[in-house]
Amino acid sequence: MGFCIKHIVRTAAFLFLTIVCLLPAKVSAEESLLRMGIPEEPRTLNVWMASDANSRKVLSLIYQPLYTRDPETLRITPWLAQSMPDYDPETVSYTVKLRAAKWADGSRVTAEDVVFTVNLIQEFQVPKYHSKWEPVKRVVAVDLQTVKFYLKEPIATFVSRTLNNYIAPKKEWAPVAEKARDQEKPLKFLMNTRIEHPLGCGPFVLEKWEEGNYLYLTRNPHFFGRNQEINQRKLGPYIDAMLFKVYGTADVAIMALKKGSIDFLWSAIQPGYLENLKKNENTRVFINQKSALYYMGFNVRKPPFSDADLRRAVNILIDKDFIVERILQGYATRMDSIVPAENQFWYAADVPKYGQGMSRTERIKKAYHLLRQNGYSWERPPVDAAGKVVNPSGICLPGGAPMQKLTILTPPADYDPNRATCGVMVQEWLTALGIPVSARPMSFGALLQKVKREHDFDAFILGYGRLSLDPDYLRSFFHSENKNPGGWNMSGYTNPEFDRLSEKSVETMNDDKRQELIHQMQMIVMRDVPYIPLYKPAAIEAVSRDGFSGWEQMVGGIGNIWSICQVKPAPH
Amino acid sequence: MHFRQLILRRSLEILVIFFVILTGLFLLFHLAPGDPVSRMVDPSMTPEDADILISQLGLDQPVWLQYLYYVKNFFSGNFGTSFHYGRPVVSVIWERLPNTIVLFTTSVILSAMAGVFWGKIVAWYKGRPIDTWVTILSLVCHTLFLPWIALLFIWIFGYGVGWFPLNGMITPELWMNPKTGFFIKAVDILHHMLLPLFTLFIIHVGAYLLIMRSSMLETLSEDYILTARAKGLNEKQVRNRHAAPNAALPVVTSVGLSLAFSINGGALTETVFSWPGIGRELIFAVSNNDYPLALASFLFISIVVLVANLVVDILYAYLDPRIRY
Amino acid sequence: MPILTRGSDIDGGAMKNPMNAAQLKRSYNIQRFLEGWSLFYENLVGRIGLILLMIFGLMALLSFIPPLIDPMYHPMTGVDPDISRSTPPSLHHWLGTDNIGRDLFSQLLTGARIAFLVGVSAAFMSIVFGTLIGMVAGYAGRVTDSLLMRFADIIMVMPSLLVVLLMASFFGQLNIWIIVLLIALFRWPGVSRVIRSQTLSLKQRPFIDMARVAGASHLRILFRHILPNVLPMALLYMTFRVTSAIIVEAALAFLGFGDPNTVSWGMMLQWVWKTGHMFQAPYWLLPPGICISLITLSFYMMGRAMEEVLDPRLRKEGQRL
Repeated sequence: MGFCIKHIVRTAAFLFLTIVCLLPAKVSAEESLLRMGIPEEPRTLNVWMASDANSRKVLSLIYQPLYTRDPETLRITPWLAQSMPDYDPETVSYTVKLRAAKWADGSRVTAEDVVFTVNLIQEFQVPKYHSKWEPVKRVVAVDLQTVKFYLKEPIATFVSRTLNNYIAPKKEWAPVAEKARDQEKPLKFLMNTRIEHPLGCGPFVLEKWEEGNYLYLTRNPHFFGRNQEINQRKLGPYIDAMLFKVYGTADVAIMALKKGSIDFLWSAIQPGYLENLKKNENTRVFINQKSALYYMGFNVRKPPFSDADLRRAVNILIDKDFIVERILQGYATRMDSIVPAENQFWYAADVPKYGQGMSRTERIKKAYHLLRQNGYSWERPPVDAAGKVVNPSGICLPGGAPMQKLTILTPPADYDPNRATCGVMVQEWLTALGIPVSARPMSFGALLQKVKREHDFDAFILGYGRLSLDPDYLRSFFHSENKNPGGWNMSGYTNPEFDRLSEKSVETMNDDKRQELIHQMQMIVMRDVPYIPLYKPAAIEAVSRDGFSGWEQMVGGIGNIWSICQVKPAPH
Repeated sequence: MHFRQLILRRSLEILVIFFVILTGLFLLFHLAPGDPVSRMVDPSMTPEDADILISQLGLDQPVWLQYLYYVKNFFSGNFGTSFHYGRPVVSVIWERLPNTIVLFTTSVILSAMAGVFWGKIVAWYKGRPIDTWVTILSLVCHTLFLPWIALLFIWIFGYGVGWFPLNGMITPELWMNPKTGFFIKAVDILHHMLLPLFTLFIIHVGAYLLIMRSSMLETLSEDYILTARAKGLNEKQVRNRHAAPNAALPVVTSVGLSLAFSINGGALTETVFSWPGIGRELIFAVSNNDYPLALASFLFISIVVLVANLVVDILYAYLDPRIRY
Repeated sequence: MPILTRGSDIDGGAMKNPMNAAQLKRSYNIQRFLEGWSLFYENLVGRIGLILLMIFGLMALLSFIPPLIDPMYHPMTGVDPDISRSTPPSLHHWLGTDNIGRDLFSQLLTGARIAFLVGVSAAFMSIVFGTLIGMVAGYAGRVTDSLLMRFADIIMVMPSLLVVLLMASFFGQLNIWIIVLLIALFRWPGVSRVIRSQTLSLKQRPFIDMARVAGASHLRILFRHILPNVLPMALLYMTFRVTSAIIVEAALAFLGFGDPNTVSWGMMLQWVWKTGHMFQAPYWLLPPGICISLITLSFYMMGRAMEEVLDPRLRKEGQRL
């Protein structure tokens, strides 16, 4: 008895106190606070070390690049720089004038900072950045506001892929670099240095990072875009502070959004939640295109996928519309080339579209004929003499050897349910032709290890969630120099003609000539299909309606620097 | 005297068990398929970095020497660097361990106490409808699938009714404001703890209740109860002062035996509620192939279970006079 | 309650009854079984447990039927050509469909099959290990006994789910049989203790001495004399092992470490969770969770009822064997 009543009373008292004490928290929002939900804690806020998406999200508010993309036209536009760079073909150099900008502590952003950043990256060979700055032979501060980059040779992607990287303050990092040079492992020291309040020139500064719980950022009064009109947009930021809350599971994050505990969920939302969010009066959904590529890759180094005909047959068998309609519930587009169709300037519209519009039986028959013509045989073929589709068995390669069991590696279902399900369905489709394949989900790290380093695989399904708008990635994916372990040419594709074209394309400064080359490159790749592009999901994001308005929609979603600088508290 | 000997002996046993687990994990590391080195050294490191780390951890030495390094490292608190967090594993563990201990011990103590209390009462009403219903209810509670019921609770109480926060341990808005006092912060943690606590409580109380009930029934048929009744003591006194304390002992034993099961539930609860504890960390580390963190988390969970076992054994020895004398 | 001893008691009255010893033993065993059964059946808890179990057994058997009716009912890869999102229960799909149009009811049936498979195999394996080790420990005594029981202690202290998880990280993706094996490897200690104490008490019985005098080897004694007597206890504990095996597999699948080619209830819960339908599709969320809980409950109830049959102290007053 004693246990009972006393305990109940005590618990009730606590609950009451709790609710009472927490009420003030809701009321005391005199400052406008934007609460963001993110799916995972950022791993680090050291700009040289950070590679995961959530660290990048936070860092993008602190550090800024010289150039960024206009949200509407997607053209390169000056950001920290004042204007587009001057290119001098004779000296092969770019001259960039900086805007009048300040670091968060009030000191000026100068050309020295730019020079320091580039030199630091090159000296320490900072993993993420040094390949981007590799083309720069020498960088010089002409005056306080002007920088000149001397390149080794002309390169078409310098502005779009190099000058869109962050600039770091010399005064913060020079002492660190100094100390690092004395260490046994200087790069490791540089990358592991923890800076409590990173100095940047972006709209926000880091006030507090409570590890495991939240990040709190406050407005940077010295932000160069403050009250400026850039690209016909009046920039703020109009919010006083930002709070990043970590939500381990998607459904709890969505519940928090619906409840109003967060204003914006900065994470891709599964299509399954969409109906519910659309109907809910507290939330507003944004659907945008993404520049992305989700694909199936083959190991062309060894049989059976060393045979291009088999790869083409697989491309025919895969029902991309099924994937888009069912697995992604319609919130995706099918892809027929490595370059997304929406990237209109670079996309080659006349790439072969395998199996488009065909029914399942038509696919099986077409693939069957293709393989049979090229020497494949079956004990019991998938299409019998009468032309009916049956269960096949005993497929043999040209030459008579039976096809060995194959695996398709995919990320695990909890990492990406869509790719895992794709794997299951592809397995099903290929089995209809007798190809002995099974889908195998594998933890992401192990998957990358096998595919990228060990090259120990038959096929895999992976994706690039953020594909650059410049198609230079074609060269990274398919040029034969990148096929060593750790390189991006994971399939091991070697085609001298492709190599030649891609090398030429990177040097061609004229856009129209380059477009022609890029088109030809796509035609080659889609003829040989070392990768089968599958789909491109839409960026589905949601905000709380009573929270903030003024979100800027752009390829990739509303979580971008333009939104951050323009959102205002929504009128109640 | 006997009591102290007992504690000493049991502590020693626990230590030995821990050593066996420690060694077992070492063997696992080396016997499992794949490259043991890539388990301690982040595969995305550059080869030069990897070499330094390898020599630091002694991974290029013969196996028996590695084992010595391993044990030495453990006791000097060096568990390597987490692949995922990029910082020393021990710092992550240090942050997470108290959260787990708080949740775990509170839930075990509360459910044991409630189980004893209610089991005692229910045994008294044996045969009556309330006995049947409570028994069935306890059985049902005991067999509920924990992650599923946890999610249902979040949905109903956190989202539907809105009394409780949806996840986590603290409310960031409160904590980021430098003006909030210590008391409010403590209450905030408690507020977040209530729903996970409730979930664990529901799952465990059933089992303890049933054990208490059957133990009580056994005790009530003993001779000394008859004596107590003959002495003229009223029923409540007989029940509470004579039967219950003895009947409670098997519950204590059962708590000890089910500690491993409880910590399973604890890890699942932490994951679903995003309670930043060591169980959740283990599950994350396994998903991310963060071997150093996974290994260390598991070791510390074992320590928690072993220490809890020790405490339960001591408690049992203290409560059961037959052992003491 | 060793069968043999009772048998030898009755042998004394064999003069009156011309049946030979073997026939007597058999009829005696049948009689005991029937009595035990009626006792079991009288017990409400046992009855409910049995009925529930039979329902699940039926579900497991029925799981083979839907794919034969129409390939769209295949739990893993069969999709309804007209439906491509998660829909509530309808005429064609009694429990509705999941997010890519697969039938939920056939998934549920398959889950029952997997649950029995996993539960019974894991339980069986752990009983085999536990009984063997328990018998050997109890019989051999002294050092072997100490060592084995210490070993059991150590295993018992480790949380099974987390150990299997750790193993999963080392061995990569697990397939269902490895999961079953791992579960069995970590659940045998409970059984072995009980078997050991039973063996210890049996060891003292005269018939064991008689066997030894007659020249029987240790192995023969173990398997012919001790094993049949500890078997009832072992089987009893098997029911409890089944429940924990099912729960561990479900928890693993739920967390994403299960065998991706099996459609178990835990896997269904993982899918509903990860595709974001957790709180929008109660027809998808509730059935698997309820099934896991109910099947656990039914095995548990059966176990408790069997306990009452085997352990006289737990019986209600007035009941006697």
